[in-house]
Amino acid sequence: MFHWESTPLTGLSFLGMVIGAVVVLLIALAVVTYAIYFERKFIGWMQLRIGPNRVGPFGLFQSFADILKLLIKEDVIPDKADRIMFLLAPVIAFVPSFMVLAVIPFSSTHVFTAGLNVGVLYYLAISAITILGVVLGGWASNNKYSLIGGMRSAAQMISYEIPLGLSIVGVVLLSGSLNMNVIVAHQAKMWFIIPQIIGFVVFIIAGLAELNRTPFDLPEAESELVAGYHTEYSGFRFAFFMLTEYVYAFALAALATTLFLGGWSGPFLPSWLWFVIKTAAVIFFLFWVRATMPRMRGDQLMSFAWKVLIPVALFNLLLTGGLYLL
Amino acid sequence: MAELRSEEMVLNVGPQHPSTHGVFRLVVTLDGEQIVDADPVVGYLHRGTEKLAEDLQYTQIIPYTDRLDYLSSMLNNYALVHTVEYAMDLEVPARAEYLRIIVMELNRVASHLVFTGTYLLDLGAMSPFLYAFMERETIVELFNEICGARLTYNYMRVGGVKWDAPAGWLQKVRDFIPHMREKMRMYHNLISGNEIFLDRVKGIGVITQEDAISFAMSGVNLRSTGINWDLRKNVPYGIYDQFDFNVIVAEHGDCLDRYWIHMKEIEESLKIVEQALDKISEGPVLGKVPKMIRVPAGEYYRGIEGSRGELGVYIVSDGKDKPYRLKLRRPSFVNLQILKKMLIGQNMANLIAILGAVDIVLGEVDG
Amino acid sequence: MSDEDNKQPEKQPDVAPPATATAKPAAKSAKAALPPDPRVVAAKATGEAMKATLDKQLGVTAVVEVSASKDVPILVIDKAYWVQAVQFLRDDALQSYDYLRMFSGTDYPNYIEIVIHLVSRKRNTALYVKTRTERDLAVVPSLTGLFQGVNWEEREVYDLLGVHFEGHPDLRRIMMWEGWKGYPLRKDYSPFEDLDERGGNV
Repeated sequence: MFHWESTPLTGLSFLGMVIGAVVVLLIALAVVTYAIYFERKFIGWMQLRIGPNRVGPFGLFQSFADILKLLIKEDVIPDKADRIMFLLAPVIAFVPSFMVLAVIPFSSTHVFTAGLNVGVLYYLAISAITILGVVLGGWASNNKYSLIGGMRSAAQMISYEIPLGLSIVGVVLLSGSLNMNVIVAHQAKMWFIIPQIIGFVVFIIAGLAELNRTPFDLPEAESELVAGYHTEYSGFRFAFFMLTEYVYAFALAALATTLFLGGWSGPFLPSWLWFVIKTAAVIFFLFWVRATMPRMRGDQLMSFAWKVLIPVALFNLLLTGGLYLL
Repeated sequence: MAELRSEEMVLNVGPQHPSTHGVFRLVVTLDGEQIVDADPVVGYLHRGTEKLAEDLQYTQIIPYTDRLDYLSSMLNNYALVHTVEYAMDLEVPARAEYLRIIVMELNRVASHLVFTGTYLLDLGAMSPFLYAFMERETIVELFNEICGARLTYNYMRVGGVKWDAPAGWLQKVRDFIPHMREKMRMYHNLISGNEIFLDRVKGIGVITQEDAISFAMSGVNLRSTGINWDLRKNVPYGIYDQFDFNVIVAEHGDCLDRYWIHMKEIEESLKIVEQALDKISEGPVLGKVPKMIRVPAGEYYRGIEGSRGELGVYIVSDGKDKPYRLKLRRPSFVNLQILKKMLIGQNMANLIAILGAVDIVLGEVDG
Repeated sequence: MSDEDNKQPEKQPDVAPPATATAKPAAKSAKAALPPDPRVVAAKATGEAMKATLDKQLGVTAVVEVSASKDVPILVIDKAYWVQAVQFLRDDALQSYDYLRMFSGTDYPNYIEIVIHLVSRKRNTALYVKTRTERDLAVVPSLTGLFQGVNWEEREVYDLLGVHFEGHPDLRRIMMWEGWKGYPLRKDYSPFEDLDERGGNV
C-alpha cells in the first residue's frame, strides 16, 4: 500500500503532495457547493417546497451563482471595526477547516491522506483554532450582535469540545491507535458504532454543537442575533465563514464515518464510493435535524453539555475500558 | 481580590430585526445576557388611521381597517361595521350574519396559524412556519374567491356583506374543516411534544391575573392567566350566542399556555364554522341600508373578540355621514405594554420567546 | 388647502356635545318626534343612581352630568375628582369596575374630553366615565396609578391630542417622534401647514 510517510522526500514527491492537496481542496469545494445545494433541496422537500430550481437544470448551478454573487460584491469593512483583525478573522477561521481534511482517509489507497500517528488529536487541535477566528470576527466587527454571537460561539465550542474528545477516546481505546488509517483497519470485522453506540450518540450531538447547527445554532441565531458573529461580514469574507461552516460539516461527517462507520471499508463497491455514501448519509442526517428541531437556549445548552453529555461520555469511557480489560 | 469591572450594554433590537414582526424597536439594557431594562418604542408604522377616518364616510373607512391587523382583516372589518350597525340599530340579514361568522372564524384560524408558524420560527424551527402557511394559503384562497383579495378583504358593509358566496364556495369551506383537523394532529405531533420547544417556553414570560387585568390585556394573553373572558361569550355580539363552542382557558400564564390556547382556539373556530355551515340558508346578503349612512349623534363603543384580543371601535358622531371622532381600541397596542415588565430580569434568549408569544401585529400596534 | 381651513371653523359650532345629544334628542334633529329609547331611559336611571352613590361617597358633587349611550350609562366627572371617582368605581365591592376596556379622548370646540370604558366582569356591566378639560391648558390627572394599562393610552392621547397627564411616569410622544409640534387629532390641526416648523420634512 502507498504511504506518503514512507516515500523519500524528493522534488517529485513534493510536487505530488502539492497536487494532492490541491485536489483535496477542489474536492472539498465541490462537496461544499453541492452540500449547500442539497441542503436547500432536501429541506425544501421536507417543507413541501421545491427548493432552488432556477439556475441550470434542477437548479444545479444555484450554488455557483451564489458564490459568484458573493465574489463580485463590494467588500464592506465597517468604519468602526478593527480593520486588521476584521480582515484576518475569516482566514483564521477558514484555514484550519481545510487543514483537518489532511488526515481523513478518503479511500484505501491513501493517496490524499497523511498517515499521521496522532491523526485524531491533530483533528481536534486544529479545529479548535477556528474558535479564535469566530471570536475575533465577532469582536472586531464592533457590533453588539456580533460580539454576543462570538462570545456564545466561544463558550459553546469550548464546552462541546470536551464531550467530543471524550467520545473519541472510546474509539481510540478499542483500536489502540490515534492513527485514522489504523482505526479504519480495526473496523474490518465490526464497525465501532456497535460497541461504541453511546460514544457515537455523544459524538453526533457534540458534533452538531461544534458545527453551530440546529438545534445548537445559537451563535448565529437569526431570530435573536440577526446573524451572530458574521453580521457585519459581506461579500467574499462572508463566503469564507460560510465555507468554513460547510467544510467542517463535511469534515465532521468524514470523521464520523472514519471513526464509527468503518471508514472506506465495505464490500463490492470501490472504497472511495463507500466513503462517499457513508459521509453523505451523515451529512443528510445533519440536514434532517435542521429541518426538524427548534433552537435551544444558551443556558440550557451549557447545562446539557456539562451535566449530561460529559458524564455520559465519561461513563462510556469507563464502560469501554472495563470491557476492554475483560 | 481585584474588583472586576463590568458594564451594562445597551442593545437596540429593531426597528429592522428578523423577529420583531415588523418595525418595532426595543431598547434593551443588558448585563451580560441578562436584561436589566427594556424600553419598547413603537410608532414606526403609524399612519393616523383615526385622523384619516374623520374625513371619510363610514363605508370608506372599511378598507382602512383592513390595514390595521393585516392578518385578520375580516375581524377588523366587522368591528367597524358592527359598531355602526349597533349605533344605527340596523338589522342584518341572516345569510350575511352567517357569512360573516364563517369568514371571521376562518380568518381567526389563519391568524392563529401565522402565530404558530412565526413563533416557532422565532424559536429556531423552520419547518412549522412553512407548514402553517400552507394551510393559511387555502384559507386565503377561499377569501380570494369570495371577495377578490387575499389580504385586505374590504368584504363587509354596514348592513351585511358585499358579495354572496360564489357557487360551491360553502362546500369548499366544508371540505376544508376535516382537512384542517387532520393537519392540527400533525402540528401537535411535530411541535407540541418537542422537548426543546417545551424547555424554551415552559414557565417563561409568566403573566399574573392581577397584571393581566391591570394592563387591560385581552384575548389569548388574558385567557392564558386563567381568566375566563371571551367577548363572544361574555358580551355576545352578532349571532355568536347561537353557537356552541368552548372558551379555552389555561392557568399558568406562560408562553406555553399561550401557544396551547392558540392551537385549541383553531379547533374551536372550526367548530363554529361547521355549525354556521349547517345553519346558513339562502337569502339576501345586504340589508336595507340608507343610501347615505349617517350614525345618529352620540357615542358608541363596541368591542369584538379579535384574534389578538378585544378589538373595539369607539365612534363619536355628530349625526353626519362621517365620524366626528373614531377611536380604535387595538388589542396588540394594549397587550404590548406589559412587555417591559415581563422582560426585566430575563435572559436575552428569552426575549424572543416572550415577545413572540404576546402575538402582536405592528400595523395594529401603531394604528 | 384653503378649503380645508375654511371648513374647520364652520364645522365646530354646530357640534352639540354628543353625550347630551343622545340623551335629549330634542335638540334639532328630525328624530325629536321619536319616543325616547327605553334602553336609554333605563341606563340614565342607572347612571343617576350611580351619581348619587359617587357623590355621597366622595362628599362632593363629583358627577357633573349623566347621560347614556344605548344601554350604557355615561358619567361625566369633575376633573378634580377624576382619580378618586375612578378608584372608587374600581375598588368598591358593589361597583367592581376593574377592567378598563377602552381609553380615548375627543376634541370638542370648547373642551377636550377623556373617556374611559369600564367593565365590571363580576356583574357583566359596562360604564362610560368621562372628564373634561379646557383646550388651551389641557391637564388631567393620570390614571396610571390605578390601571397600569393606561400608560401607553395616555401617552397616545398626549401625543395626538395634547392633554398633559399629571403624575404620568413616562409622558413622552409615542406615535409621532420627539420634536414634533402640534397635536394631530385636534380639530384645528392642519396636516399641510408649517411642516418644516413641525419637523415634518426630515
